Amino acid sequence: MARGREWIGFAVFAVLLTAFPLVAPESIVDIGVYALIYGIAALGLSLLMGLAGQVNLGQAAFFAIGAYTQGMLVTRYGVALPVAAVVAVAFAMLAALLVGLPLLRLRGHYLALATLGLGIIVTVAATESDYLGATSGIYGIAKPEFGGRRYDSAAEFFWLLAPVMFLAVLFARNVVAGRIGRALGAINDSEVAAECLGADTFRLRLQVFVLSAGYGGLAGVAYVHWIGVVNPNAANFPLSVEFLLMAVLGGLGSVWGAVIGAVAVEFLDEGLRDVIPRLIPHASGEVQLIGFGVALTAVVLFVPGGLYDLWRRAVTRLRRRSATPAAPSGSTVDTTDETPVLSRPDRPAPGTTLLSVEGLVRHFGGVTALDGVSFDVRAGEIFGLIGPNGAGKTTCFNIVSGVLAPSGGSVRLRGTRIDGRKPHVSARARATRTFQNLQIFGSTTVRGNVAVGRHLRGRAGLLRAALVLPARAEERAIARSVDEILALVGIADAADRPAADLSFGRQRLVEIARALALEPDLLLLDEPMAGLSGGERADLARLLRRLRAGGMAIVLVEHDVEAVLALADRVAVLDDGVLIALGRPDEVRHDPAVVAAYLGLDEDDEVDETADDPVVRAAVRELDGG
Amino acid sequence: MTDLGQLLLAGLSVGGVYALVAMGFAAIYAVSGVLNLTQGEFAALAGLVAISASGNGFPLPLAALLGIVTVVVLALAIQRLIIAPVRRMTTLLSIILTLGVSTALKATMLLIWGPEGRGLDPLPGNDFTAAGVAVRSQYLWILGVSVVVAVAVSWFYERTLAGKALRACAEQPVAARLAGISVARASLVSFGIAGLLGGIAGVLASPVYFSAWDSGLALGLKGFVAATLGGLTSIRGAFMGGLVLGVVESLVAGYIDTGLRDAVAFVVLIVVLVARPDGVLRRQVAARV
Amino acid sequence: MLDVAGLSAGYDTLPVLHGIDLGVAAGELVAVIGANGAGKTTLLRAASGLIRPTAGTVRVDGRDVTGQPAERIAAAGLAHVPENRLVFPSLTVADNLALGGWTRRSARAGLAATRASVLDLFPRLTSRLGQAAGTLSGGEQQMVVIGRGLMAGPKVLVLDEPSVGLAPRLVGEIFAALGRLRTEQGLGILLVEQNARAAFRVADRVAVMDRGRVVTTGTPAELALDDRVQHAYLGGGYQA
Repeated sequence: MARGREWIGFAVFAVLLTAFPLVAPESIVDIGVYALIYGIAALGLSLLMGLAGQVNLGQAAFFAIGAYTQGMLVTRYGVALPVAAVVAVAFAMLAALLVGLPLLRLRGHYLALATLGLGIIVTVAATESDYLGATSGIYGIAKPEFGGRRYDSAAEFFWLLAPVMFLAVLFARNVVAGRIGRALGAINDSEVAAECLGADTFRLRLQVFVLSAGYGGLAGVAYVHWIGVVNPNAANFPLSVEFLLMAVLGGLGSVWGAVIGAVAVEFLDEGLRDVIPRLIPHASGEVQLIGFGVALTAVVLFVPGGLYDLWRRAVTRLRRRSATPAAPSGSTVDTTDETPVLSRPDRPAPGTTLLSVEGLVRHFGGVTALDGVSFDVRAGEIFGLIGPNGAGKTTCFNIVSGVLAPSGGSVRLRGTRIDGRKPHVSARARATRTFQNLQIFGSTTVRGNVAVGRHLRGRAGLLRAALVLPARAEERAIARSVDEILALVGIADAADRPAADLSFGRQRLVEIARALALEPDLLLLDEPMAGLSGGERADLARLLRRLRAGGMAIVLVEHDVEAVLALADRVAVLDDGVLIALGRPDEVRHDPAVVAAYLGLDEDDEVDETADDPVVRAAVRELDGG
Repeated sequence: MTDLGQLLLAGLSVGGVYALVAMGFAAIYAVSGVLNLTQGEFAALAGLVAISASGNGFPLPLAALLGIVTVVVLALAIQRLIIAPVRRMTTLLSIILTLGVSTALKATMLLIWGPEGRGLDPLPGNDFTAAGVAVRSQYLWILGVSVVVAVAVSWFYERTLAGKALRACAEQPVAARLAGISVARASLVSFGIAGLLGGIAGVLASPVYFSAWDSGLALGLKGFVAATLGGLTSIRGAFMGGLVLGVVESLVAGYIDTGLRDAVAFVVLIVVLVARPDGVLRRQVAARV
Repeated sequence: MLDVAGLSAGYDTLPVLHGIDLGVAAGELVAVIGANGAGKTTLLRAASGLIRPTAGTVRVDGRDVTGQPAERIAAAGLAHVPENRLVFPSLTVADNLALGGWTRRSARAGLAATRASVLDLFPRLTSRLGQAAGTLSGGEQQMVVIGRGLMAGPKVLVLDEPSVGLAPRLVGEIFAALGRLRTEQGLGILLVEQNARAAFRVADRVAVMDRGRVVTTGTPAELALDDRVQHAYLGGGYQA
């Protein structure tokens, strides 16, 4: 979304917030207060679910922690409201840190249920603790008082809370649009690709989890000053469900969506409480939950992207109708240029060993996929890794790129061991990869994809997101690098198109551009030629040669033997988990063991030009003359 | 010592109920990776329906049957209308979906039956005392029936072709389809089984633990914890997990603090998830090559 | 027995097959060879119903099964033995075979006879009937999945790279069994293979695929001398 349009959105929001208590009747403003309070918690939840793809079914627990802490500090210890608020929010975030550290390593649905349990644990703890007031809880919390004025009417409280909400939304929006949000979006689309580009998924998820809990705690602080009381029900499950509905209805990960969702749900709540007793006279208790349950199920089934998604689709449809047809896509790369590219002053000199693989072993259950593979790759060379199906190339490649851990042996990047460590460690050491089964970040544009590649070249974290200016300068620098790389690879014309819309071959180029954005010294390419047309293959080969000339080391895994033999400086051949040949292409081409491996000959067969078998003869002739 | 015996018996009894609910979780999850959070509501609803039927003059066995059948039909409907249509189902998505359904179900039960809890008439039998321990006959019924049901379900999955076909769908859905087994229908059947198990749990539990519109929440969550203890895909593990959880809960409530009873399950859950995410009690399955 | 005409299929953004024409008669073994990425696996998946074709038809024993789900095509008489040897690991060999007969589960006597013939074909399995399939060696697992496919009494057997990762002697055993099936039982067999030599030895006809199309067909003898085959097979793309 263009910056200009965003500012309009915020301005409108500010105006609405200010005008609302002036135009609406008291009872409606009352609902509005609840919408603000719960909306802050829902905003945090939406951030977590949308950005980190994690479900927190216990947001009410952090809400309650914030509420109880604030209540305690203000009533029992006479702490000033703002100070207590900071402590209360910090407490909620601390709780999230403690819970998140062990739990965020789990698969998503386990986290969801663990957080659900957290809500129940908090409820029970609050009920059982006399210190916390047991079932009565803490009461007598005064309405806020600043500068001698008491903010106790709905309108006054609303105006007090409005700037808080505004800042909360602003901050959230900056997180979403910035480096962290981009990385998390990438993780959501393809965790492995994001890791290989340097995103420390665990740390990022933990950060968002803690942030989201902070929002929950802040909402609790507001709640306690409005209601004046907090009891164990503040952590109860239906409240967590209500937050979930707000986030889902609005659209996960959408900042504005959460706000709209909160308003919608509060009005739905009020409406149902009104309507149901009129339809069914004896109805009592929390019957409006029917509405919540139906709404939650219906939204997930029919409008999974929430209201925000509906809005976005409508806008896109309008834009498409008025858009000019896209310029014919074509390579903008000078097809004769062979000059070196992307060299780096700090890069190791050509010939230096960058990657050192020793005695690599990998078992899968009873099967040995790799049995002692060793080789090294040097700066300024293209290294090919070939072998028949089932030879172990993919396994080897995955271990070298950090996606898989070996059962034995070691992988060293410039002396640092990276085997068994997460891929972002390799990325930090300037080694990255592309994927045979494309791992495009489908939720963003081509530009967005390549920008993720710059993740490690930026430093803006959550805190900087709040302070807009420093992050902006960094973003501009990132945008410039992205443009350069797009032009280099030849996809600059598609920069603002959704990456998922591109043809297969161009998506391949996007992945390569993305990897190059990291400024790697070692580039690992997993079957880059597959699915490319003849012309596209030639262009790619040319690009690779230019990168090599700039001092990069490139490892190619390929089934297209001819392409590898033509391009590589050295080639390693795997068969049955063992290295059967390693050397220059023309050496490997004539190696009898290699020929035998590709043709699937029996061990006792001899490969001989005079052999009877016409297949063997023909194949040997081919490899010879090719 | 009698205290311990008392607590153990009570624990085994509630554990039997948890075990039935837990087996329902495992039955569905193993086949389709869906985590069905309405499992607890199945139990609550079966109890409430049975109570109403019994109140309207139906004899006890028939009332119980009615409750169970209602829930089985509901379970099948949920699978058909809500789970099956979703193209790309993930476990996380199934949690949110079934959460919505369970919330609506809870509130519907509140609407129909009101907020108070009620108890079904107990199954026939006399309470007695043995070795200083007061034995309620209903406890024995619960334990006995849950053991019988567990054996029957185990037999189904391990000795019948249909049960093996369900397991095949869980282990290798592509190969199962190529053998002509409909994975979609397997999912439907697994929901039916879960409904049956939940319904039986509800009808058994009602006389002792009372059925109310919200009794499904705690029961469902604890059943899930028990299933996780057993590895989530193992029926036997779920059964054992239920019993263990029931006993631990009872002991904590008895010796430490009754109020902490509900928290026990979740503390256990978090500890297990962090220490051994694959479950504590699960049998070793042959390694996949 | 199996007739594929003008078949096109693919995944999400990537079209893989472009109008494949291929036929397998009863008692005939047709091998499909080609480099990786040529679309061989996609062809089998489109034929057996695991993915939906975007164009063209698939006929099993004369019946049009295009677009039907995999379960129905299996019941119509096409047995697909997938790549990666997908046994049901915690179930015994006997159970794996029994489940293969799911579509005929009411025909007790017929099933027993089929099982006997499967064990006759793969004697190794007889001693392993009570063992969990996940604990078997690769070659034995391959026999299990072929046997499982046969239990359905299919008219067409379709196999995806059965020789991958297997020692040459076992490959020989399995391929000999395939030859027997073709001759003794009149089964139509479609064999996708990377191991060209073994495939050539057992096939009646060979089809060569490259980038989603069948570029040439013929007998093994004819094709062995064809230069174009070497290009397509070893990689580098089909050069006209």
